[in-house]
Amino acid sequence: MKMNRRNFIKAAAAGSSWFLTLNQLKGSELLPAAKAAPAGANLSRVEARYYDRLPDREIKCRLCPRFCQLGDKERGFCGVRENQDGKYYTLVYGQAASYNIDPVEKKPLFHFLPGAMAFSIATAGCNVACKFCQNWEISQMRPEQVKSHPLPPEVAAETAASYNCPVVAYTYSEPVVFYEYMYDTSLQARKKGLRNAVITNGFINPEPLAELIKAVEAIKIDLKAFNQDFYTNYVRGELKPVLESIKQIARSKVWLEIVYLVIPTLNDKPEEIRQMARWLAAEIGPDYPLHFSRFQPMYLIKNLPPTPVSTLERLRDIALQEGLHYVYLGNTPGHPGENTYCPNCGQPVIERYGYTIKKINMSGNKCRHCQQVIPGVWS
Amino acid sequence: MNKSRVVIIRSQSAWAAKGRPDPASMLRIFRKGLEVLTGSSLAEDGLRQIFHPGENIGLKISTIGRGAISTYPETAVTLGLWLAKTFGREDKIIIWDRTNEELKDAGYKLSRSAGSLKILGTDTPGIGYGPEPVVNRSVASLFSKIQAELIEASISLALLKDHGLAGITGGLKNYFGAIHNPNKYHDSNCNPYIADLFEIDLIRKKHRLTILDALRVQYHRGPSYHPQWNDQSNKLVFGLDPVAVDTVGWKLVEDLRAKKGLPSLPEERRQPAYLKTAEDLGLGQSRLENIEIIEEEV
Repeated sequence: MKMNRRNFIKAAAAGSSWFLTLNQLKGSELLPAAKAAPAGANLSRVEARYYDRLPDREIKCRLCPRFCQLGDKERGFCGVRENQDGKYYTLVYGQAASYNIDPVEKKPLFHFLPGAMAFSIATAGCNVACKFCQNWEISQMRPEQVKSHPLPPEVAAETAASYNCPVVAYTYSEPVVFYEYMYDTSLQARKKGLRNAVITNGFINPEPLAELIKAVEAIKIDLKAFNQDFYTNYVRGELKPVLESIKQIARSKVWLEIVYLVIPTLNDKPEEIRQMARWLAAEIGPDYPLHFSRFQPMYLIKNLPPTPVSTLERLRDIALQEGLHYVYLGNTPGHPGENTYCPNCGQPVIERYGYTIKKINMSGNKCRHCQQVIPGVWS
Repeated sequence: MNKSRVVIIRSQSAWAAKGRPDPASMLRIFRKGLEVLTGSSLAEDGLRQIFHPGENIGLKISTIGRGAISTYPETAVTLGLWLAKTFGREDKIIIWDRTNEELKDAGYKLSRSAGSLKILGTDTPGIGYGPEPVVNRSVASLFSKIQAELIEASISLALLKDHGLAGITGGLKNYFGAIHNPNKYHDSNCNPYIADLFEIDLIRKKHRLTILDALRVQYHRGPSYHPQWNDQSNKLVFGLDPVAVDTVGWKLVEDLRAKKGLPSLPEERRQPAYLKTAEDLGLGQSRLENIEIIEEEV
């Protein structure tokens, strides 16, 4: 049985215990009549938002904290936004390099419509360059270098609706770099009663983030580490703007979850995790979920082992000790750390196995056992 | 220490009608450049000192500026045909850059025909980039299969330009066009990325010759084309030491900037520091006192 919103509510009301069958569909199965264009065939030419025109046909991008200043024919760090004769264009508007149907748990979002399916889309490009990127084959590419599929905003929303996906997710690569496409698709999705979830590194400037917050319902931020050195050496980004984004989102009505990929020896120092947990508790409060995710060797970091589960457990304990209420483990199917526990009575309120919901013990937005309100978007 | 030799050849007759380079003049400049650079009385002997018979030779040109500011076809094709004539096979010479569209916009006629000069972009169907990133220090990139697989020897036939981030762009930075993600390597004046990239065996071990196209030099506000800061310098610059050639290129840009009353690149805080980094990596000489500059006219 698919877990849609109705089923979720029904299950919550019944307190039933059942497994979902996750019907993950890959992009090629979603739009059978359409063919992916070969690499290089599709480049959009839609004027970008958030840039300043400068003298001599130069521009300055204001979308992310890099503030790329570019001459004619040059592209930003992201590789998908180009100055053409003094005007700045996004080259990936409506050009999906990847689209799939995933459970929201895969994002991961654990307090946002559990069990819902998310029509998930991505374009080429990213505004950082993580050495451990799991989607580098699209994120670290320019749009000419990947196969893409024309998927305009209205078609994306229509496709999501036609597959009964209550959520459209902007994910896989880095949606900040396809901001215009994401934003317009969000509006189209809303018209159809769908929700929007953004899976991002949070490396975006306050002004575009403020606009984005008005158009979406959930944002998951990958907090890569809690020190600038890691951001410099392994991400090619900056920590401070990401922390500012986290605070900005927490001040809004958009649901926020944070993921921290734990990489052995690189960002797994207990004292740093304690500092991070303290910062989160102090700045945004204890109720936003924090996921510690298990690293698998890939891309440019193949010389380190997968994160020991014991490390994840230790870091989770630290975050809980520091007062965070919802701390999860990721990429550890079957681990009790995947479950949601009521911070009041300690009983499991949502039991999971990987991306699958096993059991829900909630009544509406409350713990079935003690009536404690569990924060999130549940219906 | 032996100084690195860099040869500048000037020609007042470099141009034909309509502001295009004159192929016959180009050939004279190439021949003179190779003679002086190698000390050979016959330019073809100079080429034979640098390249071996039967090698596939790549001419990495710069066409990102498309029709406005790119390596002229008259220059690249003349060099390609001369190489082909010297070594006996046209189809062993590949004139190439990132994309076919940019090549076409810059005036090149694409060609993959057997027996003739090859002119093509990395995005040609069946070519593309290698599947796995090549990593060296700060750089991790997929390499164009043209650079990685199709050629054994390389000439960087680069435009000399001012560059808003790197300071100048010349023969070293030209190889940004051999990788899939140059946009990731423009931080901090492209330093150390340009040097780190060149150090990779796929470039360093194949690179044999740099020729800077300074027929017209964009000495300010580059790398884009701005006619008010574009000087008709009528020069090509030759060198076997890739760092030394670019160092001389930097000097040419600074000379033009000084002549026009513009601040120097260090004053604009965009000194091409990657040249010193390249020297530190053992790739060549970045100090003028270690470079023998010979300037001649044809």
